[in-house]
Amino acid sequence: MIFASRRALSICIAIALCVLLQAGIRSFSDYVHTLIMLAGLYVTLAVSLNLINGITGQFSIGHAAFYQVGAYTAGVLAAKVHPAVSQLIWYVPLAMILSAVAAAIAGFVVGLPSLRLKGDYLAIVTMGFGQIISIIARNQEALGKAYGISVNPKQQMIWLVWLLAVICIAVSRNLLKNVHGLTFLAVREDEVASSAMGVNVTRVKVTAFVLGSAFAGAAGALFAHGVGFVSPDAFAMDVSFIILTMVVLGGTGSITGSTIAAVLLFYIPEKMRDLTSMKVGMLLSIVIALVFVVAVVKRVLDHYHGTLLKKAGIIVGSILVGLAIISVLKKPLSSVPALGTIVEGSKMRMVVFAVTLVILMLLRPQGMFAQHEFSWRWLQSLLQRFKRKKVGVPA
Amino acid sequence: MSLLKLDCATIKFGGLVAVNSVSFALETGDLFGLIGPNGAGKTTCFNIITGIYAPTSGSIWFNGADITGTPVNKIAQLGICRTFQNIRLFKALTSLENVMVGSYLRHKSTLASALCHLPPAIRESQELREESMRLLTALELDEVADVRSADLSYGMQRRLEIARAMATQPKLLLLDEPAAGMNPQEKEQLNRMVRKIRDEHSMTVLLIEHDMRFVMSLCERILVLDHGEEIAQGPPADIKNDPKVIAAYLGEDHA
Repeated sequence: MIFASRRALSICIAIALCVLLQAGIRSFSDYVHTLIMLAGLYVTLAVSLNLINGITGQFSIGHAAFYQVGAYTAGVLAAKVHPAVSQLIWYVPLAMILSAVAAAIAGFVVGLPSLRLKGDYLAIVTMGFGQIISIIARNQEALGKAYGISVNPKQQMIWLVWLLAVICIAVSRNLLKNVHGLTFLAVREDEVASSAMGVNVTRVKVTAFVLGSAFAGAAGALFAHGVGFVSPDAFAMDVSFIILTMVVLGGTGSITGSTIAAVLLFYIPEKMRDLTSMKVGMLLSIVIALVFVVAVVKRVLDHYHGTLLKKAGIIVGSILVGLAIISVLKKPLSSVPALGTIVEGSKMRMVVFAVTLVILMLLRPQGMFAQHEFSWRWLQSLLQRFKRKKVGVPA
Repeated sequence: MSLLKLDCATIKFGGLVAVNSVSFALETGDLFGLIGPNGAGKTTCFNIITGIYAPTSGSIWFNGADITGTPVNKIAQLGICRTFQNIRLFKALTSLENVMVGSYLRHKSTLASALCHLPPAIRESQELREESMRLLTALELDEVADVRSADLSYGMQRRLEIARAMATQPKLLLLDEPAAGMNPQEKEQLNRMVRKIRDEHSMTVLLIEHDMRFVMSLCERILVLDHGEEIAQGPPADIKNDPKVIAAYLGEDHA
């Protein structure tokens, strides 16, 4: 009963959010519109890579390639079909499914060598696959070479994007709730032992690749139709790495982590587009102060066994010292001629992004959520603990 | 018809003959021991039987069928399951989840229905979970069902390996040094358990062990290997007094 009601609650909340999103969309600018769409696509990409990397433990760093296969499939398809057909309401969802199938086939092809390779070696193969796809796209006349191809109709289906993200999350979560999913985790933990338990390791790995790449391909199709244009630059190597970073930062294996990290990592660099420009010397003094603060915080978290208040005190103190360091260093450093150049705000964002990643990984190497998941039961226990604290009953 | 039969099984790694023309047969319900000094080829024998290595020559028969060269997971499906000498649990999974992976062999629902979370798949997972819980209770591990297997004590990890192998409901259970690293009480407990497994679940047990007292008190028949070759086979009483066995363990002078 409780189980059923919790499930109903989850579904209701998901539907309510979709309705809110759909209702609010008209008031947003085109820019925000695109951002919401891209965020949804990144959630799908991160959660689907988590299925391969986190749950099944197959270290793949070529996820953008599957995304690209999906996008180009949609692009080529749109160029081939009659305009009357592509104007139909169900055309984009259909293109999405076909792109998912194309990417799934690509996933199958990459999944096959993964049977023999592990860790670093598999990573190199997946990276090589990414390069191959990218080079094919850059050199084929039919794929528009380096220029790319335009995709018609240009249609931002926000509801479909987020529906895809929700389906991707639901599929991953359903898998983990089932004994099938446990075999995926078992393959990650120990291949020899899982095959000795009767698990078909080959099948599990290939299934993970096929499922993960199908979702990436579907996301690719929605990207192509949403932006109305595909070019090789949109799927460069760094896209693969950003998706991988989302998975690792969220906590490898955690669906919740991948989802939240995807939104955050997508949002932070966008938010930083309007950073103020500053001199290199100023930037340098900030970095020095940050290194100091992070070093102190890490030591306090790892080795210091005081009360929470004392810990907080030390951390606040170190931040104050950090601010002092900035104010002392910024003048002399900026006056050095070599450090006097001005960095534009728009270029700063990648610096900030990188520094954020370094700090997060230093302070929490297991990722934001480690291997935990959000659940109603977890929320309930959290609330209960909070209540107990308020009343003053020892836990 | 024997349950398991090794027929002149030989395996060579380059110039090294790890197992040389070993033959033996297990009847249903046997408690069979495989002993020998370090490097005698006992674990290699297990690896041949479970399909991790294919023998260079000779054949393995299970239940009347030739299983030489069959893939590892197929052999598990046929009904042979094992534990590992150097514990290979799924470390990040809980005890219960480890056992559930073992019970996966008996699942019927398809992956598609699992991904859609359809009622048959939910029900089946629930059944396998309850079944696994019963198995944990039988092996006195129910209290640690939700503990990560990496955090269990050594003796518990060994027992959990047995529980996981039993969850596949094998006809033949292979135990690779189940008592290694256990204290006398734990060994006593294990002894009772293995007997119970054999009697109540009508499994055939083949085990490798170094603790002579443990093997002699538990097994009904024993095969002794040395340098990959069989040097003696028979009931414990005969093995104890076999001059070749004493020579292999203690040196020629004592024989």
